[in-house]
Formats: sequence, structure tokens, C-alpha cells
Amino acid sequence: MTDAELFHSIIASLPEIVVVTGACILLILGQLVRKRQEHFLVAASVAVVLIAAFATLLLASEVRPAYSGMFIADRFAVFFKLVFYLATILTFLLSRKYADIEGIGSSEYYVLLLFALFGMMIMASATDLLSIYVGLELMVLCTYVLTGFLRRDRRSNEAALKYVILGAVSTGIFLYGVSLIYGLTGTTQLNAMAEAVTGDPLDPGLLLAVVFIVAGLVFKVGAVPFHMWVPDVYEGAPTTITAFMSVGPKAAGFAVILRVFLNPLVAASDVWILVAVIAVVTMALGSFVALVQDNFKRLLAYSSIAHAGFAIFGVVAGGQDGIASVMLYLLIYAFMNLGIFGAVIMMRNGDFSGEVINDYAGFAKSHPGLALLMLLYLFSLAGIPPTAGFFAKFYVLVALVERGFVLLAVIAVLLSAVAAYFYIRIVMVIYMREPERAFDPALTPMVRATLAFTALGTIGIGLFPAWFLGLAQQSAAGG
Amino acid sequence: MGFPLLSLILFTPAAGAAVLMFLRSDDAVRWTALVVTVLDLVLAIALLAGFDTTTHEMQFTETVPWVPALGITYALGVDGISALFVFLTALLGSVSVLASWVAIERKVKAFMVSLLSMQALMLGVFSALDLFLFYVCWEAMLIPMYLIIGVWGGDGRVYAAFKFFLYTLAGSLLFLIGVIALYFHGGETFDILALTAQDLPFRVQSWLFFAFLIAFAVKVPMVPVHTWLPDAHVQAPTAGSIILAGVLLKMGAYGFLRFSLPMLPEASVYFSPLMLALSALAIVYGGLLALAQDDLKKLVAYSSISHMGFVTMGIFALNIRGLEGGILQMFNHGVTTGALFLFVGLIYERTHTRSIADYGGLMKVAPVYTVFLALFTLSSMALPGTNSFVGELLVLSGGFAANLAVGAAAVLGATLGAAYLLGMYRRVALGPASVGARFKIRDVNAREMVAILPLAVFVLWVGLYPKPFLEIIDASVKHLLAEVHDEGSGR
Repeated sequence: MTDAELFHSIIASLPEIVVVTGACILLILGQLVRKRQEHFLVAASVAVVLIAAFATLLLASEVRPAYSGMFIADRFAVFFKLVFYLATILTFLLSRKYADIEGIGSSEYYVLLLFALFGMMIMASATDLLSIYVGLELMVLCTYVLTGFLRRDRRSNEAALKYVILGAVSTGIFLYGVSLIYGLTGTTQLNAMAEAVTGDPLDPGLLLAVVFIVAGLVFKVGAVPFHMWVPDVYEGAPTTITAFMSVGPKAAGFAVILRVFLNPLVAASDVWILVAVIAVVTMALGSFVALVQDNFKRLLAYSSIAHAGFAIFGVVAGGQDGIASVMLYLLIYAFMNLGIFGAVIMMRNGDFSGEVINDYAGFAKSHPGLALLMLLYLFSLAGIPPTAGFFAKFYVLVALVERGFVLLAVIAVLLSAVAAYFYIRIVMVIYMREPERAFDPALTPMVRATLAFTALGTIGIGLFPAWFLGLAQQSAAGG
Repeated sequence: MGFPLLSLILFTPAAGAAVLMFLRSDDAVRWTALVVTVLDLVLAIALLAGFDTTTHEMQFTETVPWVPALGITYALGVDGISALFVFLTALLGSVSVLASWVAIERKVKAFMVSLLSMQALMLGVFSALDLFLFYVCWEAMLIPMYLIIGVWGGDGRVYAAFKFFLYTLAGSLLFLIGVIALYFHGGETFDILALTAQDLPFRVQSWLFFAFLIAFAVKVPMVPVHTWLPDAHVQAPTAGSIILAGVLLKMGAYGFLRFSLPMLPEASVYFSPLMLALSALAIVYGGLLALAQDDLKKLVAYSSISHMGFVTMGIFALNIRGLEGGILQMFNHGVTTGALFLFVGLIYERTHTRSIADYGGLMKVAPVYTVFLALFTLSSMALPGTNSFVGELLVLSGGFAANLAVGAAAVLGATLGAAYLLGMYRRVALGPASVGARFKIRDVNAREMVAILPLAVFVLWVGLYPKPFLEIIDASVKHLLAEVHDEGSGR
């Protein structure tokens, strides 16, 4: 690489450099922060992300390939990075009070989140199986640690252990697929891979490799059949981390899936039907199993499996509208899911865990405003207009029907009627039961800001989707 | 685009709901809600006054781009059919506020907000000229209605609310797929008028017909997807029942008129025997079920199934008398059944029982109440001189013209109607005054009178002089029929 190329590469990856440098500085500064000054950590972390976001927007105007084809800064990556920033910043804002209550107010918490963000950003920009791997591992290693952050809580420890073991296996599978591809095509770059495979029928070895890679990626977004870790890990992890994992890393997983799956190598192959099956089974499993959950976090875990299934429907549709529909879905999901998690996190106070659904009985009576917000997020998750959740599903369905997958669309809507049941059940508990206890939500200005912002997004995108749709469509077009 | 009267009608209740959020006292909430709905009613009357009955064209149209990338617009407009229902919605809106004046004691603000948002969305359904807008309003109504039933309803409200929600949602979601499929088959537009002008292949039409049928049949509701209705009606508070019976059930029938018939004419003609048979089934089956009820509200609820059977029969008779009768009957059913639910609510507030067996001799303790109850009962029975007579006669003559057996079934249903309604009235109002001894019953007060009177006026007005009402829909119906038969027979 010449100096000029290196310079260009550094410019292209400026946001990543900002985040990783900021994380390193915070790691050192974090040791100097005294008790009761943790506000500084939140402020500094948010500042780092904001600077990165600013840099990202500055670079958004053109496509910048970098690091000899390992990395690219294009609109597709920009869109996903914006979703990551959104998820990370809102997680920071939700974390402060929660960390206090749970007694996990150490600086590593924020630093690890920044590193996870760094990993996700690499995933969004990676154009080579190896750089994908690097980003992926960086991200999951941080989330492994964060999952086990409640050191004195057995569930948290168990969740972390489970996550590490299963995650390592899935990584192994993914790497095996990568090695097969390299062996067969002699390259790991996505574009070169497509060029290397022109002859049909497709080499069975390659198909096998693709299946392995699919399996590795499907694990990260929590789709069937690699979903088993999701409920346990989501339940055991600190709720703030659950919120983060259900939005950020999941979106990162989809970024990679879109890049890899929509590569001609995969799109042309018989593996495609596998993706459709995964979508159907994932959504069905998530929706049906969620029906019987009593724990709010577990329910949201299954709900997030179901939503992943719905987003995969968008992948199945493919084409530019299909890609755009997945991206818009993830953006909207970030708003509504962080909103509902914000509400759950806020409930964690004193002896109240906020985890048992029945504990929310009569919440509407004592806190009508907050209950209305929860109602908004829940109806949005269920996909009822005029909330954003409806438009997200609507656009995926449009993409499906456009491609002629009407049957899949019918299956998708029937399963969302099933899924609607458990969201509405929570609304029922909140609104239609008598309160059994007093509520004292941990409402700090930061939590308030988060809830207001996510509510604004949930209703705003629902009523005025045009601009966001345009953004997703442009970003899906790539350069 | 002239003065945005339709938007004003739509946004008046919506803005009212927003204002209510900031009010503190329950009385202020009630009065504001009343003022808002009355204002909305005045606007709706202005709409009818300015309505040109000589044309079938959409009037008071407004178009603003909404999501240009997908061809979605905020497009409003009314023809004769929708104008009538915009008016009905506004009318029943005021009545509902009055009906819940004292019946709703807790969370008055939240209730009125739900009621007003409900009204805005219903008006949106009737005036939307964009499929997407239509669908959003159609579906969003689930939220306030779910809350109205589930929070302020009776003892089994949670179950009823769930059932209502899931039935309608499952039906509507398939409709959504139909809408999207129509979008791609009809040249990537959601413009209802442009889609109406499209000529789709028969195969596509029949698929879409069934996708739409499921959604509309649930809303109407047609047998066999009617089972949510008695639960929802019985559990809902009075205002909820009035809205459900008066407006919500009309939406399914309106869907047939606005989408199935004009957009899928060949399929509509082809499947009309099926629809007629289902209607006849609903008429007779609903009547039999009503005959067996002891609960006043259930009786009215099941009678609705029967009456809505007349509506769908009129529509799918696919002739001018049937269609005009069906549409008029939609309006009539809204007025009459809305009033009957109001009356059930009034007496329930006083006695806290809905079992017919608990009543008797109401005539002696509440004469005014029973006189008006008689009027609406007779109207529901379609006695000459009342509104339903005109509608039912038209439907029957249209039904007989379409199919003899179906017409005969409808006559049987009408007889059943006389049986259960007269039986109900006898057991409630006549006989020795047993209720007077058990409950302290006062007659209707001035506020309740204000709610009742306009409905009574329409019962007699339509019954004695239906011409203005038929005039409003006439041009649109003729145009609709021409559309169905020109294209429907061209296969």
C-alpha cells in the first residue's frame, strides 16, 4: 500500500479510529474517575460517539474503498453506523441510573460498549470475510463480558458462560466456511469471490461453505436454528445490555448478512430457499413461544427472535427494495425496542425488578403518561398503524409481494397476528388490571430524554415515513 | 383544491382529543368533548348542505403527497355513499359523548380521548381516497376500540377485547396483503380512483376478492366470523356499543362498496351467489340466536348480525333497489341500533341488570322511556312509517329479483325479527310494574333526551320521507352499478 492509499484508508475509517481512540483514552481516564462522578463517563462516551457520527456524516458523500479491498465506507455502511450510534447513545443514557442501582458503575462498562460499537462499525464496512470476522469477534467478545457484568448474579454468570461457549462454536462454524471458500476460490474478498464463481452448476463444496457461513451469521442475529442462546442470555444480562444487544449487534449481523447474502455467489444459489425457511421458522418460533412467557425480558427475547424472522423476510425478498426494507425495519426496531427496554429498565428500582409482566398490573392508573408510552411501543412492536412498526412491516411486505412471494407474505402477516397477542397482553396487564403495589420508576432526566426520543421516533416515522424511506432506499443502493 | 372541509371534519375530533389531554376536571373534559363533537356534526351538516347530488364524482377532494416513493398520498374526498356515513359518524359521535356522560365514572379523560380519536379515524376511513390512508385509519381504530372495551367494559371485558382485537387484526392483515397485491397489479398506485379504473384479470380479481372478503366479513360481521361481536357488544360500555354497531359494522359493508364491487367487478358478480347465501344465513341464524337471548344487549347484538345480513344481501343483489336499500339500511341500522344500545345503556345505568327477566312493566314507571323504546323497536322491526321499512323493502325487492330462495329466507328473517323484538318489548315494558318495586327508576332526563331526539327524528324522517337520503346516494349507486355490470358482464 502506498502512502496515498494509506492516507485514503485512514480517512475512510476515521469514525472507527475516533471510537477506538476514544475508548482507549476513556479506559485510562476511567481509573481516575472518583465515585459519584460517573456522569463524566457517560458524557465522555456520548461525546466520543457524537464525534464519530459527525465524522461519518462528513464522509457520507462518496464511496471510499480502503485497506486493499478489506473495508469500504459507503452509504450502506453509513446507514448502519447511524443505527449503531443511536443504539449506543441511548444505551449510555439508560445505563447511568441502572448501573448505580445494580452496583456496576465501573468505567469498563462504557469502554466495552465503545469497543463493541467499534466492532459493529467494522462489520458494517467490511467487504472481506476476514475483516467481517475481526469485527464480529470484537463485538461479541465485548458483549460476552458485558453479559456477565452482574458478577454477583448467578443468572448473569450462567448467561455469559452459555453465550461464550455457543458463540465460540458458531464462530468456529463461520471460520470453517471461510476456510472452505478460500480453499475453493482462492480469495476471501466478497467481490472477488463472485467473480471466481461464474460456472454453473455451483460447486457443492461452495454450497457447503455458504451454508456454514450462513449458520455462523444466523447465530448472531438469533435466528432459528441457532436461537437457543437468546432467551437465556437476554434474561441474564443486565437489562441495559439486553437492550443494546437486541438492537446494535443484531443490526450489525444484518449488515453482514445483507452484504454476504446479496452477493451474487449466494443469491444465485440453491441456498436461497434455506433463507426463506429460516425466516418462516424463526418468526413462528419467536411468536409462539413468546405467548407463554411471564418474564418481560424473556418475552422481549422471543419477540426479538420474531422480529429477526420478519427482517429476514426482507432479505428473502432481496433486490433493492428488499435490502431497503430490512434497513428501515432495523432503524424503526431500534427506536421502538429501545423504547420498551427503556421502560423496563426504568422500572428497576429498589426491590422491584421490572421483569415480571404481572407486576405491571395497573401501571396505567399510577403513571398514565408512562403507560401511554409503553402502549405506544407495544403497539408499534405489534405493527399497528399509525406507529412506525406498521410501516416497517408494510415495506417488507411490499418488497415480498413485489418479488411474487405472496404466500410468504401471507405467512408473515398471520404470524404477526399471533405476535400481536402477546404485546397486547402486556397492554392488558398495564391498563386493565387493578394495581397491586405502588410504583416508583427510576426516572432520571437521561431516562426521560431516552423515552421521549424513542417515542418521537416511533410515532414520527409512523406518520411521516417518506424521508426515512428515502434514506433507506438511497443507502440500499450503495454508492 | 378549495376549502379543506373534509380535513377540518377529520382533524376537529383529533385536535379535540389533543386538547382534552391538558384538561384537569372531568366536567371540563365532558363539555369539551361535547362541544367538539357537536362542532364536528355541524361541519358534517355543512358538508351535506354543500353536496352536489347530481354527480357521482368525488367531491371536496384534497390531495397532499405523503410517501411519494411508494405513491402514497393523503387524499380525501366523498361521494354520496361516503358523505352519508361521514354524517352518521358525526351524529353518533355526539350521541356517544352524551351516552357516556355519567356512565363513565373513572378515567373520564382517557375515555373521551379514545372516543374522539376513534371518531377521527372512522371519519378517515369514510373519506380516504388512498388505500394506504384507508388502511391506516381502518387498522388504527383497533387501539382506541380495544381500550374502550377493555378498560371501561363489563366483567368479561378483557376476553372480549382480546377477541375483538385478534379477529379484526387477523382479517385486516390479509386485507393488507390484498392491498399490496392490488398496488402491484394496478400500476403501483394507492389511488383508489385510479385502481377502480383498472381492469384486472379475473384470476387476480378472485384472489383479491377473498383477501378482502375476510377483512370485511369480520367487520360486518358475517356468519361464521361473527362470534367476536356479541362478546364485544355485551362487554363494551354504552358508547362503545353505539360506535361498534352504529359505525364500525358499517365499515365492512362500506369496504364491499368501495373496493370489492368497483375494483373487482367480475369476481363480485361471479361470487355474488355465495355472498347472497351467506347473507341469508346471517339473517336467519342471527334472528334465531336473538330469539334465544335473555340478555338485552346480547339480543340487540345478535339482531345486528341479522340486520347486517340484510345490508350485505342488498349489496350483493347487485341491482339498483338492492344497493340503495342496502346502503340506506346501513344508515338506518346505525341510527336504530345505536339508539337501542343507548336505551339498553340507560336502563342498565338505573338497574345494573341486563337480564330481560328482571324487567317488566317499565311502561308505568318510565313512560317516556318506553314510548321511545317502542319507536326504535318498531323501527328495528321495519314497521311501515319507520326508516327500516323503506330500506328493508328495497332490499327485499332487490333480493327477490336476484334470487327467490334468498329473498324468501330474508322474509323469514324479518318475521323472526318481529318475534324477538316484540317479545323483548312485551317483557320489558308491559305487564305489571315489577321493576318499579325493585329498582328506583326515574324517567329519561333532559340530557338523555337530547341524545335520543335526533335519532328519533331520523327514524321518522327516513321512514316518512326518504327521498333526500336516497337522492344523496342515488348518483353514486347508479355509477357503481354501471361499473359493476359493464365490466362484470364483459368477461
